[in-house]
Parts: sequence; structure tokens; C-alpha cells
Amino acid sequence: MISLGTQVGPVESPFTPEQQQRFDAGLERAIAKYPSERRKAALLAALHLAQDELGWVSEPAMAYVAFRLDVPPVRVREVATFYTMYRLRPVGRHHIGVCNSISCWAMGAEQVLRQCSEMLGIRPGETSGDGHFSLEEVACLAACGGAPAVLVNNYTFYENVTAESLKALIRDLREQPGKAMAKGPLPRLPDPHAHIESQSTPQATGTLGQPAVTTRAEAGSTEPKR
Amino acid sequence: MTGPKILTADWDKPQSWSLDTYRASGGYQALAKALKMQPQQIVDEVVKSNLRGRGGAGFPTGMKWNFVRKETSFPKYLVVNADEGEPGTFKDREILLRSPHMFLEGLIIGCYAIECHLTYVYCRGEFRESAMARLEKAIEEARAAGYIGKNILGSGLDAEVHAVYGAGAYICGEETALLESLEGRKGYPRLKPPFPANAGGGLFKQPTAVNNVETLANMPAIVTMGGDEFSRLGLVPKNGGTRLYAVSGQVRKPGVYEAPMGISFKALLDEYCGGMRQGSTLKAIIPGGASSAVMTAAEADWASDFDTLKAKKTMAGSGAVVYLDQSVNMAQALANLMHFFAHESCGQCTPCREGTAWLSRLLDKIVAGKGEKQDVDNVHQIARQMEMKTICALADGAAMPAKSYIEKFRADFDALVRG
Ligand SMILES: Cc1cc2nc3c(=O)[nH]c(=O)nc-3n(C[C@H](O)[C@H](O)[C@H](O)COP(=O)(O)O)c2cc1C
Ligand code: SF4
Ligand code: FES
Repeated sequence: MISLGTQVGPVESPFTPEQQQRFDAGLERAIAKYPSERRKAALLAALHLAQDELGWVSEPAMAYVAFRLDVPPVRVREVATFYTMYRLRPVGRHHIGVCNSISCWAMGAEQVLRQCSEMLGIRPGETSGDGHFSLEEVACLAACGGAPAVLVNNYTFYENVTAESLKALIRDLREQPGKAMAKGPLPRLPDPHAHIESQSTPQATGTLGQPAVTTRAEAGSTEPKR
Repeated sequence: MTGPKILTADWDKPQSWSLDTYRASGGYQALAKALKMQPQQIVDEVVKSNLRGRGGAGFPTGMKWNFVRKETSFPKYLVVNADEGEPGTFKDREILLRSPHMFLEGLIIGCYAIECHLTYVYCRGEFRESAMARLEKAIEEARAAGYIGKNILGSGLDAEVHAVYGAGAYICGEETALLESLEGRKGYPRLKPPFPANAGGGLFKQPTAVNNVETLANMPAIVTMGGDEFSRLGLVPKNGGTRLYAVSGQVRKPGVYEAPMGISFKALLDEYCGGMRQGSTLKAIIPGGASSAVMTAAEADWASDFDTLKAKKTMAGSGAVVYLDQSVNMAQALANLMHFFAHESCGQCTPCREGTAWLSRLLDKIVAGKGEKQDVDNVHQIARQMEMKTICALADGAAMPAKSYIEKFRADFDALVRG
């Protein structure tokens, strides 16, 4: 567990040499976008890059990102848990996100989700036993004119999904190796209220114009405070 | 289809996203013209143009830029909101995919106008390999052609553009949450004041203009035709230009349509979208994204500009129009929206965190057939209590539909409850 650490010591890399090369190159590009004293701002990009290599954001990956950007591990954890595109547990080699927001819902998204679920033999929030597929409900993808819409592996859009096109998509994906993703049982929790519940524990809401300060560790962040 | 085409002028051309196509239709000439004007002159034209922010709030862009110009602290930043997360909205994606150079030209004009040398385009994470990849390609082309970088077109202006991406969080579309995210943190909206335009409130605490993609894509047209003429493109005073309406729902031809700002919802449906589908009768209109108060079919003749809709107690928002037919039960639609808001509330403010969660649970109960009349009243009351109490407008954006769906479609709720 790295939940409350303030010490940023040398941390072992979770990557193979080949992965390391890609990660380093990507991180360098991401950091270069910011003024030199603001390299910590590349945190979101760093987590994406780690996920690109590992298929998910593991604890060692978070620790390593904290080390590389010199930010408190707790802040890395905060960011990794806040954004839905980061996978906090291993997911299948193909991740299918079915949009459940208003336009897709009105055009039959529930049907798409049901069909996906039946074809893959898993419920939303689960990964198939062979590690090939994960299924998840996702929020509006900005593809509402092509409702119902589906997002594969975080970045590939499929629109105007019909029963036939969905069947063809899943058949194609079955034959593709997909992303090298670790085998594992469950991605993020399916219950839409789950994260609300977890947030109803008291949280400091920060003072005027400042981001919330949740722990001493964050307050003692190495970044210059406003 | 009727009306002038500004933003979509190139969309049907082959390789509409390439620099060659854009230049062939006069692209980057507005930038050359702008660089010969004084920055304040450009802002004055933008003021005259009555361009209102296309991200959702409809704030006058010229006024926002003047706020930033008045600040004496440098550097100043221009940050582009390409987070496009409001359910129903899909027009910034189309701009980035189809005419990224028009947007970039507008962005550089903006940099010159507010004296900014470093700008970020914050794209939603899901766009990384599609719209954002296209944008990055365009940035490279523009840099190679001397429209981005040092001493742009020999004018002495230096401006660098970076595209960055988020990681899935609707709240990062709210401008201060976006800035937090851009600085590498979770997307907690900031308390205002200070506002982003003022020192202390923007990116890295510097004065910052946050603008939507579509807002900036209008700049070349404003510089070319002048603010007055641009303003006249709108059908309603103080609402200048055309607007990209992202239309979805049970219409014959969903899609993004450029129409004069303020067109009526009826005209938009009939003249652009081919009307409702076979077998569909219009029942309800969501006029400006999921956060806007709903309209009935009888209200379809309302104009779609910011001021008219504000007076009618709803909003033009992001220009996302959803036409719903008789098959949709509005209580179920509201339950769907509330799942979204409950999921996307960042949790900082009690009325929002608790309110959206309660609304969502109550609506689920109603939709499951287990609700009572009192539950419907409670939904309305909880929504009223959430308004105007929170750090950002997400809570209001959840309350507005909750109240209006009940007020305008009470029968749909009553049909599902006991007693
Ligand atoms: C909850 C919430 C979500 C928002 N999402 C977006 C968005 O996805 N894209 C956007 O451009 N503006 C969004 N906005 C509006 C922005 O806060 C801001 O007003 C806008 O980016 C300003 O640019 P403009 O003046 O050019 O419209 C959102 C606002 C709120 C309260
Ligand atoms: S209103 Fe909701 S989303 Fe906005 S800051 Fe408060 S809790 Fe977060
Ligand atoms: S509602 Fe599904 S993509 Fe927007």
C-alpha cells in the first residue's frame, strides 16, 4: 500500500526495458509541454502512459509515477482514483464501454448492453474468465449523433450500433490479440452510487480558490502552494 | 438546408482537415490580417460580434478577453476547453476532426489578442486517438508552415500550442476543474473568485481565458467580415453568428448542423434534420444539453438563443438538442440523467453530492414502480434545495432538469407511482 506515504525514494520500475523506453519517451514529451518548473502537471499523462504499457494502473505503477514526477504518492493515488479511464484492476484484453447517457439510452443503449452481456457472458463491471473481454457502462462519449455508441479499449469509437454490427464487432475482437492486459477478475465497481458512497466520508473542501486538501501529505506537497 | 456556412464551410470537401484544403479556401488569411491589427482592435471586433461562449454559459467572449487584457500580471494563458462531456453534445469533436485548422487559426488569433504565448487544448481522454490525433497532426502542419511557433508570419508573435488530454471526468469540462486537471490534479472545481480571467484564478494562478473549441473557431470569420457583420448572422440581438447544433434523438437525420444562432427548434428539426422518424411524434426537447430544463413539443417554436431560453427558464447551453418521441417516459429519462449527475458529481459540496445521489435513488424507486406520489414531490423539493448553493454549476445543472421534467411531464411520473 502506498496510500499515505510522503517519502519519494527511488522506486523500482514496473516496466520491461522495451516498455521503459516507450514510457520514458512519452513522459519526456508530456513534460516538455509544460513550463520547466511545472513538470508535475504531466501526472495525468504519466498515468496514461503507464496504463498503455501495463493495461492498468497497478500499485507499483503509481509508486513509480510518483517517483518519476516527484509528487507525493497520495496525490498520484488521488488522481488515479478520480478519473474513470484509469483501470485500477486488470481488465480484459478488449475493454468494451457501452454509453448509457441520454441520447444513447433513448436510442436503445440498454438493448446494446444486454446483448453485449449475453454474448460475452459477463455483466457490466466484469471481465470474462479467459481474460479476453471486459464490459462497462460509460458516460456520454460525445458521439450522440451516432447513438447508440460504444467505445473499445478507451479510444476507438463505434457508432450507430445495431444487433448485427455489435455481433460482428465482438467476433472481430475475439480474433484480435488486443492489448496486453493482465488476466484478472473484476474492473471497477459497476454500481453508479459506489463512488458517491465512498465520498460521503467527510472531506475537507479547501479554502478560497484552492484545491481540496485531504491529508497532511498533500498539504506538504513539494509543489509551491498558492 | 439554409443559411450561411462559416464553421462547416469545408466539411464536405475531401481531406477537409488538411492544411492544403483549408488554405485553398482562404485559410490563415484572417491570421495574417489580424497580425496587422492592434490586439485591442481584435478584441473590440469580438465585442461587436456579440459572440457568446459556445461551451455552455454563453458568456460574451469579447468581455472575457477584455478582463484578461486588463490584468497586468504575465504570462497570460489561453486554455481551450475540448472536454466535450455534456450528454448530447458532439460538435467540438466534429470541428477537430473536420476543420482543425480553422480552430487553430482562431486560437492563434486569440493568443495575439490577449497576449498569450503558450496555450493548451484540453481534450477529453477518449479523443486521444481520434479528434486529438487529428488536432496534433494539424498543429504539426501549422507549425511547419509558420502559423505556430516563433515569430509567426514575421509579426514577432511567438505562440506555442500543446494538446493535452484528460482521463474521463465530466466535471473537468467545468473551467476551474479543467485548470486543476491541466495542472495534474483531480478535477475539483475551484471556489470563485478569483475567476480564471483574474490573477490568482487561472492556470498556474495567472490570468487565463478559458474558451470552448467552437467559440475560437469563429475568430477567423470575425476578423474577416468584421464584428458587426458577424453579429448580424444571428437572428436575435446580442447573439451573434451561426451555431453548431448537435442534434440527436428520434429524428430522421441526427448530426451536427450549422444554423443561424437563435433558429427555432421547429425549424431546426424540420429544415435541417428531416423531421421526426417515421412513427415518431415529438414529445419533448432537451434544448441545450443534459443540464438544461426540458421543453414540450408545444414550445418548439421558441428561439434557441441564449437570452430567449434564459427568459424561458431553460438554457441554450452547449447547443446539444435532443428531440424525444412519444416512446420515451420522461420519468425514466430523468432517472437516466440523474445516474449521470450522481456519478459525475465531484463530491466537494454536500448539496450536490447528497442531492444528486438522493435524486437518483428516488427516481430509480419511482421507475421501478415502487414509488409514491410523495416521492415525486420530494424529487422536486430536493432539486429546489440544491440550487445556487454550490462551488460549481453542476448541481444547478442537475436541479434544472429534475424540476422541469416534473413540472412539464408530471403525468409520466404519476403513471409510475402508487396513490
Ligand atoms: C459541469 C460543467 C461541465 C461543463 N462542461 C463543458 C464542456 O465539456 N465543454 C465546454 O466547452 N464547456 C463546458 N462547461 C462550461 C465551462 O465551464 C466554461 O464556461 C466554458 O468552457 C467557457 O468557454 P466559452 O466561454 O467559450 O463557452 C461546463 C460547465 C460546467 C458547470
Ligand atoms: S457542485 Fe457538485 S460537481 Fe460542482 S464542485 Fe460541488 S460537488 Fe463538485
Ligand atoms: S449519449 Fe451516448 S454518446 Fe452522447
